[in-house]
Amino acid sequence: MTFSLLHATDFADRLLYKIIPPLKAGMIVLADRYTYTAFARDVTRGVDRQWVRELYSFAVRPDLALYFRVPIEVSLDRLMARRVKLKFYEAGMDLGWSANPTESFRLFQGKVLDEYDRLVGEFDLNVVDAHASITEQQRLVRRLIAPHVEEKEEMETVDEQPA
Amino acid sequence: MSSQPDVPEEGANGGIQAGRYYGRGIPYLPIDGYPGKLIAIEGTDGVGRSTQIQLLREWLEVKGYGVIETGWTRSPLMQPTIELAKSSNTLNKLTFVLLYATDFADRLEKEIIPALKAGFVVLSDRYIFTALARAGVRGVDRQWLRNLYGFAIAPHLVFYLKLDVETLIGRVLEARGMDFWESGMDLKHGDDIYDSFRAYQNKLLREYGSMADEFHFRSLDARRSVEHIQIELRKQVAAFLEPTEKPEPVAAR
Repeated sequence: MTFSLLHATDFADRLLYKIIPPLKAGMIVLADRYTYTAFARDVTRGVDRQWVRELYSFAVRPDLALYFRVPIEVSLDRLMARRVKLKFYEAGMDLGWSANPTESFRLFQGKVLDEYDRLVGEFDLNVVDAHASITEQQRLVRRLIAPHVEEKEEMETVDEQPA
Repeated sequence: MSSQPDVPEEGANGGIQAGRYYGRGIPYLPIDGYPGKLIAIEGTDGVGRSTQIQLLREWLEVKGYGVIETGWTRSPLMQPTIELAKSSNTLNKLTFVLLYATDFADRLEKEIIPALKAGFVVLSDRYIFTALARAGVRGVDRQWLRNLYGFAIAPHLVFYLKLDVETLIGRVLEARGMDFWESGMDLKHGDDIYDSFRAYQNKLLREYGSMADEFHFRSLDARRSVEHIQIELRKQVAAFLEPTEKPEPVAAR
């Protein structure tokens, strides 16, 4: 519970200072993870599914949500290639499911992925196959985003001329 | 707030049996059938809660009960963070509410639930009603708050030490003076701390008053002497505890 609530507090702070003001100013906000991360992660930790959704009901619903999906083994390989050790919480070590970090990661993140799959339908997440090459993924992402960001016509402005 | 208090709404509401979760609860911590008792003492600042709790604790211990106390913002996890956040001027009403809820969740999981499981009497100096009142005054959605605190346990008894604003002002000034948060200065009622304190505490009292029926508060007139209030508390606590527990609450451990 405290894990869930601390993240919600952090999210509320960022929402009110970093997300809502630029939205009001008409800017595009790119959020690296959003409430869906909390839904997947907190429920895997045993928090009630409906409670955590209600908790985050103060969040702004995104115009577009992308979900980059990879199988566990791929994410493990990618993480291990970059650093030697898995982080305690990302491996779900706090749950005590396995003393082996890699095994714990597989168990924990496997359940997190199951939760994400549930979210795809519930919140209309757009799934991007994160197996594909970066270029392919980026092209797909651009296609998905394009309808949401209509190019504004360059405003015709005339500089004031000295009389 | 429901006009039909008998129909349980989602989240924290009074239609819930004491000792159970108000709402969706904590799925990984089932609490049904725990032998302990949860007694909350509510009331604004300056009503003498801590004095009453201290006296009640001694009395209960002499009678052989195991007692623990828990109090608002006292969790080891959150207390430093809350103090820091209060002093930094970046708190808004939402993060304020969520920090309090985190503190409460920490104490619930680490103190209150284990104590109830072990058969203790838990005396809570303030409970979620303080959070509901403070946030309600600040305009946070009431239903959202009740859902949020759906993981709280409905106390077996809630005593509400009720004080009028005039007496409250006198006591606070005598004790330590008015501070920024207790005066609701963040609500920007004006620069005058006295006027702000008065307006804020009046609103708080109205919030508590509106919860009294919903959550089955046992209201006690806090203008009376410490002894008088303590006698009343003991009478009501004894009347509740004695029939529910055969006189072996400590021997059972």
